[in-house]
Amino acid sequence: MPLLETHELTKRYGSAVTALDSLSLNLDPGVIGLVGANGAGKSTLLKILLGLIAPTSGSATLLGFDVLRQGPELRQFVGYMPEHDCLPTDMTATDFVAHMAQVSGLPRTAARERTAETLRHVGLFEERYREMRGYSTGMKQRVKLAQALVHDPRVMLLDEPTNGLDPAGRDEMLDLVHRTGAEFGIAIVMSSHLLGEIERVCDHLVVIGNGRLVRSDAIATFTARTQVLAVEVESSADRVAARLRDKGLRVIEEGRTLLIGLEDDRPYDLIRDAVVDIGVGLVRIEQRRQSLEDLFRPPRPEESDVAAS
Amino acid sequence: MSQPAEHVAGNIYDLGYQRYGGVRLGRRHAVLAVYVQSLRSAFGLGRRTSSKIIPMGLAIVVLIPASIQLGIAAIAPGDVELIKFENYLGFVEIILALFCAAVAPELLGRDQRTNTLSLYFSRALLRRDYALAKFGALVSAMLVVTLGPLVLLFAGNALGSDDSLDYLKNNADQVLPIVASTAMLSIFFASLGLAVAAQTPRRAFATGGVLALFVVSSSFVSIMVNAASEDYSRYLPLVSPFHLVRGFTFFFFQASFQSGTGGVGGDLYIVDLPGAVYALATLGITAVAAALLLRRYERIAA
Repeated sequence: MPLLETHELTKRYGSAVTALDSLSLNLDPGVIGLVGANGAGKSTLLKILLGLIAPTSGSATLLGFDVLRQGPELRQFVGYMPEHDCLPTDMTATDFVAHMAQVSGLPRTAARERTAETLRHVGLFEERYREMRGYSTGMKQRVKLAQALVHDPRVMLLDEPTNGLDPAGRDEMLDLVHRTGAEFGIAIVMSSHLLGEIERVCDHLVVIGNGRLVRSDAIATFTARTQVLAVEVESSADRVAARLRDKGLRVIEEGRTLLIGLEDDRPYDLIRDAVVDIGVGLVRIEQRRQSLEDLFRPPRPEESDVAAS
Repeated sequence: MSQPAEHVAGNIYDLGYQRYGGVRLGRRHAVLAVYVQSLRSAFGLGRRTSSKIIPMGLAIVVLIPASIQLGIAAIAPGDVELIKFENYLGFVEIILALFCAAVAPELLGRDQRTNTLSLYFSRALLRRDYALAKFGALVSAMLVVTLGPLVLLFAGNALGSDDSLDYLKNNADQVLPIVASTAMLSIFFASLGLAVAAQTPRRAFATGGVLALFVVSSSFVSIMVNAASEDYSRYLPLVSPFHLVRGFTFFFFQASFQSGTGGVGGDLYIVDLPGAVYALATLGITAVAAALLLRRYERIAA
């Protein structure tokens, strides 16, 4: 069963703003990253899946439930961590999370037991008996994650879970999300505008822009290695380049780094011979790895020229 | 057993999260949870002490007239009836209005102010379930402060009289009017308070708005009824909650208004409408207010 299916999902605000534009998706369970610029429609999609806002047209199912018609049944199995502040200041984390577990349908005793476990899981200890008004941003984010997790959902929707965290807090939150998805098999849809985060945590990536689907693929296919070798030498880069061109390779010089098209294994030997003959030090040879950031950067013309043939 | 404490704590941390295989009780349980939580927070239970002062204080103040009656009955033998059942609610109406104005914003405003609505609406209930749970909670809280004193008065009178059993027998016909009038008042005030409080997350505005609704309408109607002789002024009490409460309470107790008593009772003596009209008007206004509340919660952003 697919985790999430949308069919021509559209959300308009008035006639001027189109937040989602005929978005059709079909995603299998996993840890899914939802990426796009601010205003691309990430939050709108999540909110429609949660039944917080109604789509203008189209349909969506999550875990096989129709999000419009089977909301309460579906949402017993869904956890949601919003982007914004959402915690009452004058309750303790324990009371609040236990209450939220009950509103998700858990019996009272189970709610209390799981609250203790879940708060421990997210790393909240003695503080959980204090009113939340004094909590740091990091602690609030942990409580927000805990209330999304306390009822043991089958899928969690996380809207910018690292928002406002310092680098250390960011790392811990991503680690928690990753463990929750990987070790407990809870499907996760996580939105972020930081590709590095998605790359660390997710195994599938959905890119949306202007409310439309740009691309949906396994992370691995996004970050496939490009067919380019980067060779850095200590000096005489121009002579090495000339030698390699004589041998029939395509070479582009970038300072002391040479970019070489890689069609087969032949260049490795040729590079070795060239640096030995000319007598320069070889600093490193590496295959250029394409990071997710590159997807959203216009490609440098020369590099794609080299890889093209 | 001999492991250092830190090590043990580390083990607990690693155990942490576990899957849940137990029952899930769904929507009804979710609504019940919101109801219970809201009823508790109506009296500040589970909150800091400062949240308890106003609702608890008012809930005690509303008992004072009944306590005085009981005190006198205990000292002075015989039937000294200072307060009749049908007059009690009118006697404490301003306290009931204050309670409603204090609690209704508490029940609705907090979740709006702290953006917690999105967490509720993304759980196992519908928007209208949430609103109805809040409505039920305020009705219950209002019942505590309306039915409570009358039960105290009734029980105290029975215990204080020479023959308790005889008192119960003679006053059995008061039970139904007591329940009917307090129930109607509770539902009525709750619908008004929530319909106003739902419109703003700002607590001060909501409290002021609810109080103004009660006090301004009542004062305005009193002035108009006594000053104007036009025929339409006869129906003006039907827009004032205090007048309506007095009207349907006397209707349920089958009591009649006396001339020259002044205040709300005096106004109702002047206009002399059939008692059932007050009950019907109250039901109508309650329905409109409840519809406003539900409509607001269908649309509120979350």
